[in-house]
Amino acid sequence: MEETTNYNLPKQTHDIFAVMARGNFISSNGTRDGMNRLYDIINNPENFDRLQAYFNVIRYNIERGNNYFYFSRLNEPNSELEKKLERFERYIDIIDLFASMDNKIGVGSRFRPTEIAEECNANVRLKQKLQKIPLYRSETLHNKVREICDLMSRDSFLELEDEKSESYKVLDSYNYLLDIINAIAIYDDAGSEDTQGIVYN
Amino acid sequence: MENNCRILNRIVEINIANVKYTDLELNGNTCFVGTNNFGKTSLQRAILFFYSANTRGLGISSSQKPFEEHYFKFENSYLVYEIQTEQKPFFVIVYRHNKLVFRFVDAAYNPDFFFNENDEALKIKEILAGLDKRGIFFSQQIDTFERYRNILYGTETDKQLSKFYLLKGNEKYQNIPKSITNVFLSSKSSIDSRFIKDFIANSLTTDTSSIKLEQVDRQLRQFNEKYTDIETFLKKESQQLIEFIDKKYDQVHMLKGQQMEMADKLGSSLRYAETQNETVIKASQAKQEELDKLSENYEEQKTQLEEKQKDVREEIGYYDKSIREANKKLKEYKEKNIEAAVEKNTEREKLQVELNIARREYETLTSNVQSIEMKYSALIEQLRNDKTAYINKVNSKTSEIFNHYNELQLLQKNEYSKKETDLKQKREEALNELGAEVTAKQIEYNELKAEEKVIRNTRFYENEIKAQETELADLRAINYKNKSELAIKTNLVQTNQKEWENLENKLKTSLSNQIQKTNNEIIRVKAEIKAIEDKLNVQHDALYGYLEKNVKDWHTTIGKVVNEDLLFRTDLNPTLTDNKDVSLYGVSLKLDDVQVVSKSIEEYQFEKNERLAIIRDLEESLNQFQVSTNEEKMLAADKFGKQLGELKEDIKVLSYSLELAEKREKKLILELEDWKQRANTEIEEALTGNRQKLVIVEEELAVLNKRKNTLLNDFNEQFDKLKTFSEERIADLKNRQETEISELEVEKKNQVKEYEEKEAQLSSEKETNFKAKGVDSKEIKKIDARIKELQEALKEIEQYAQLVNDYLKDKRDIFDKLPDFIQKKEEFVKTANDLTTEIEEIARKYNVKRMELNKQKRAYEEELIEFNNGINYFTKNFRETPVFNKYADIIERAEPKKTNYSVMDLCTQLLKNDSHFNEEYTAFQRYVNEFAGKYRLENHFNFVIRNDATQGEYERFAQNLRSFVNENKIQLSIAETATQISLVTESIATKVKELSGQKDKIQHIISLIAEDFKKAEFEESKLIEYIKIRLEDSDNKVYKLLKRIQEFREENGLIYNEGLFNTDFSTHKNREISTRAVKLLDQLRTAIKEQEQEEIRLQDLFELKFNIKEGLNETGWTHKIDSIGSTGTDILVKAIIYITLLHVFIKESSHRSSSDFKVHCIIDEVGQISAHYLRELLRFAKARNIMMINGLPNKSGLESHYKYTYQFKREENNNVRIFPSIVTEVEA
Repeated sequence: MEETTNYNLPKQTHDIFAVMARGNFISSNGTRDGMNRLYDIINNPENFDRLQAYFNVIRYNIERGNNYFYFSRLNEPNSELEKKLERFERYIDIIDLFASMDNKIGVGSRFRPTEIAEECNANVRLKQKLQKIPLYRSETLHNKVREICDLMSRDSFLELEDEKSESYKVLDSYNYLLDIINAIAIYDDAGSEDTQGIVYN
Repeated sequence: MENNCRILNRIVEINIANVKYTDLELNGNTCFVGTNNFGKTSLQRAILFFYSANTRGLGISSSQKPFEEHYFKFENSYLVYEIQTEQKPFFVIVYRHNKLVFRFVDAAYNPDFFFNENDEALKIKEILAGLDKRGIFFSQQIDTFERYRNILYGTETDKQLSKFYLLKGNEKYQNIPKSITNVFLSSKSSIDSRFIKDFIANSLTTDTSSIKLEQVDRQLRQFNEKYTDIETFLKKESQQLIEFIDKKYDQVHMLKGQQMEMADKLGSSLRYAETQNETVIKASQAKQEELDKLSENYEEQKTQLEEKQKDVREEIGYYDKSIREANKKLKEYKEKNIEAAVEKNTEREKLQVELNIARREYETLTSNVQSIEMKYSALIEQLRNDKTAYINKVNSKTSEIFNHYNELQLLQKNEYSKKETDLKQKREEALNELGAEVTAKQIEYNELKAEEKVIRNTRFYENEIKAQETELADLRAINYKNKSELAIKTNLVQTNQKEWENLENKLKTSLSNQIQKTNNEIIRVKAEIKAIEDKLNVQHDALYGYLEKNVKDWHTTIGKVVNEDLLFRTDLNPTLTDNKDVSLYGVSLKLDDVQVVSKSIEEYQFEKNERLAIIRDLEESLNQFQVSTNEEKMLAADKFGKQLGELKEDIKVLSYSLELAEKREKKLILELEDWKQRANTEIEEALTGNRQKLVIVEEELAVLNKRKNTLLNDFNEQFDKLKTFSEERIADLKNRQETEISELEVEKKNQVKEYEEKEAQLSSEKETNFKAKGVDSKEIKKIDARIKELQEALKEIEQYAQLVNDYLKDKRDIFDKLPDFIQKKEEFVKTANDLTTEIEEIARKYNVKRMELNKQKRAYEEELIEFNNGINYFTKNFRETPVFNKYADIIERAEPKKTNYSVMDLCTQLLKNDSHFNEEYTAFQRYVNEFAGKYRLENHFNFVIRNDATQGEYERFAQNLRSFVNENKIQLSIAETATQISLVTESIATKVKELSGQKDKIQHIISLIAEDFKKAEFEESKLIEYIKIRLEDSDNKVYKLLKRIQEFREENGLIYNEGLFNTDFSTHKNREISTRAVKLLDQLRTAIKEQEQEEIRLQDLFELKFNIKEGLNETGWTHKIDSIGSTGTDILVKAIIYITLLHVFIKESSHRSSSDFKVHCIIDEVGQISAHYLRELLRFAKARNIMMINGLPNKSGLESHYKYTYQFKREENNNVRIFPSIVTEVEA
């Protein structure tokens, strides 16, 4: 049966909730644990409306991005938003690093941490960028990149496609990071002390 | 001795495993006693081998040696089985001849056949020779187990071998060895319905009759992966990405092409600049030399012509002066009325003659009065002389005065003339000076005009424009050709597409017809099967079943006369009457020649199977048809897809080249316009300069003309003044002259009057005297007057004589030559004009040539500057950039060639374009990554791109994707996947059907077992009250899903795969069915994953439940009985069940006529069973013609219940010796 009988919800509702309530994304190009299937289910307009109505009851809102979905909380307190921003902060340097690679890493890209580490090793500018990324204490570049990949996989921006070859794929949710970066407006603080960066979400 | 039935009577082992020789009788219950590892089980296996003849199903684990190697170690290892028959026994020899082979020997076993006199086992050849020698029949070597079993179970058709049977089996005889084997192999298991299920299932099926879930899972995974890939491909986002990739690829490709073209141009320009530098310098120098030479030539020619012109001008001046002077003189002569004077002068001679005549007449008349005359003449003469003297004096004075004034006038005139000449000279000089200036300016003006003409006629950038025009013309020609080709190819695409569609429609129609036809046929056959099944289902309760049970050979009697429908009626209540005669309601019939109309159950079963086979065949052929249709579809897709792909690719290429050509044409037109504009600008610029100069020169000329006019006016004024002054002076002089002369004339007149009065007085005195002397004085007076008149006339003529003479002289010398002078002057003027024209012409030519050369030289110089600037720019600003590295190959390999672009422009453009290219390429790369990222790493389209892929790899990806789309490969993939889903469901359905087909058999077997349990006589011991068994539906989730798939398949036939993905031509129903099919397969896959089961076997198709009551204990309906009572009880129940099973199978699998045989039931380890129970068990078995072969670890008294007891003993050489134990059979 595709739908649960009580609420006429898709039977995967539980799986969807389990993923998104953790703060993770559901991307259309994710293959692990049937993520693409879940995406298709949410993306179905009928399902979407039902799911949205259902989750709204428990004060969750499904947000639709470019080929990905995630939860936001209705009336989210500012403290939560701040936490989100703090979480996001670390990604600025990572995205900067990814965008500076010879072969820019974008949605759908497949790569191995060793490749990035090697490129960083060969390019001083990239190496500095990598070393600048905070929160990681790994000694070798390779391990640092691995930790970044781990973090991004946990946050569902990457997917470990092949454990044997340690090959990662960039998921559509990566667009979320790019969208946020693009939404940051930087003001020159020379003019007024009051001006500050504004983040649109 | 049981000698009235067939039974395995004896087993003889010769050199088998560790047994050197043993000969054991087995025609009764047999017990093997021996501790573990002494060879009990090995011997039991050897016995089992007799029944099963299958080395693999003997329970030998894979770690142990195979049966052949363990048992038949030697060349002379033999297993001999002796079979007792109703007549004489025969035996089978099993030996190894590479593999295990059999021979049937038509004699009772005799050790002499196998051993020589030294008790050594013979070789098979020797044995056979011995048998031959003894005249004993032995069979050919039986090479296969299958044939051996056929012989043993009585289905062999070879007459020589057909007697060597143990029992007559039917088509299911294979169940007998299987059952015996299963009992042996399962005897250690606990009592679980699963075991019974396994037992029944294993007996009914072969190893292959199971559904290997790994295989199904693989098929499902493959299908699912393909399905997901296609689904991903068909998604809107993917299609959008494909479009983006295609577009971006074109852009990137075009930009790359442009960049390469530009790089090639840059390379060409650079090479050209490097190679042409020296040449250009030399060419420039050559042009300078040419210019110098041209100037020199021009100056020389100009000088020559100017010299000539000077001479001509002098001539003109001379003639001009002469003409002017002649005209002046003529004017003067006219003023003096020269014409009248000349006319009068012509009468002079005539007047002179007339005078002379008059004088002579006078003299004649006066000859008579000479003296008077003389006196008076002297007086008059004197007077006249005086008068003449006076007149002369006055005249002289007048003349003096006249001359004096004339002289003064002349002087004045001379002075005037002199002054006029001076002034004229001055004027001429000034005019000449001004004229020279004007001429120079005029020349300059003419030169400028000529230059303008040259400029107007010069075609600037002619080569460039020509090159552009040629390129444009070529481009248009190619365009035209490409457009026609595009039209042709577009038509071809449409034609091919139509053809393809037609073919597909044809295939579709043919497939649906075939499906319809097959389904109809299947429905018909199913109806027949149902009819047969109905018959089979009711046969137990119908007349048929009754006859089967109660009337022997009824088929040959009743079967010939009874209606088939009647046989299966259940409402006939047949009963046997005492009348044993073969009659029909008392009428005896001779039925020998009547054909039997009734059919045996087997025949019905056979018919049913036949029909099932027909359905299978129909489905198979439909499948084949569908596969072949799909193959045809695929072939068509391959053929048309490829053609269409190629055509579409061509069209794309053509469209692209047309697009490029259009752009190029626009660009060329713009460039051409630009060149023309530049040429016009150049002309305009040159003309503007020229015009400005012209204006200046014109202005200067106007100024000069003004100056000339002013000068002329000034001089004219001066001339006028001078003339007026001179005329006034002359007039004054003339006035004074006239006054003085008139005064003198008046005086003279008075004096002359006095003289004339005196003369008149004298004349009158003379007259008077004459009259006096008679002389005609009147006549004399007349003549005298005539003379005076003539003298006056002559005097007047004389007065103008000088002037006329002068005039005549001038006329002769000057005036008559005046026309010649004018003529000559005109000729010289013409020559002068010609010379001017000539000078102008050579000046024009010189200027044109000079300009041309200057232009060429300037072009060379500019080119040189451009070369150097370009090379410098390239070295400083381009060589070190990555763009150079990117196109270094092209730049360095380019041929030196002149291009329309400068190196600097090319470098700048390349750098600019590269940045644009990078932007576009990044977008292109992003789209490719995003697209490839949508698929699994191992997707079957091979849409994979590594992150560190090269540009080439990205481009190849886009090319492949384009081919994929153009060749419509997705349709191939869809067709394949549709076929796959069809094959998967078909395969599942077939397997499930095949497997579930056995369910009826199970049902039958279970009913027989239940029946047999009922018949069991447990009453004696009262130990087991009853054993009940029943079938229930399977709980197996995977099987349930498999079954649903099979039902789905049967319900929907094979058509549903058409709806897979396809929304164009499939109906809504087809799509829905397809979706359901996909969902079912998906669920199955999940279930297989969750259940972790390797295969679905017959036993998974049903659940078996027991209900056993032992004493007061009742288990209730359960599929697993943990413990019924004591271990002994458990073993007993198990053994009872086994025996029942065996009995049922044997009964079912043997021919009905064959009942005189016994088989063995081999159950090891029955040591824990009590003697009482054992007895019960043996009896239970005996009642079912089954002999028990059991194993006991040691002697415990139980062995006394067996007919044969053998003991096992290991000897020193590790050999095992088996010997009979001396016991007495208590009861069996």
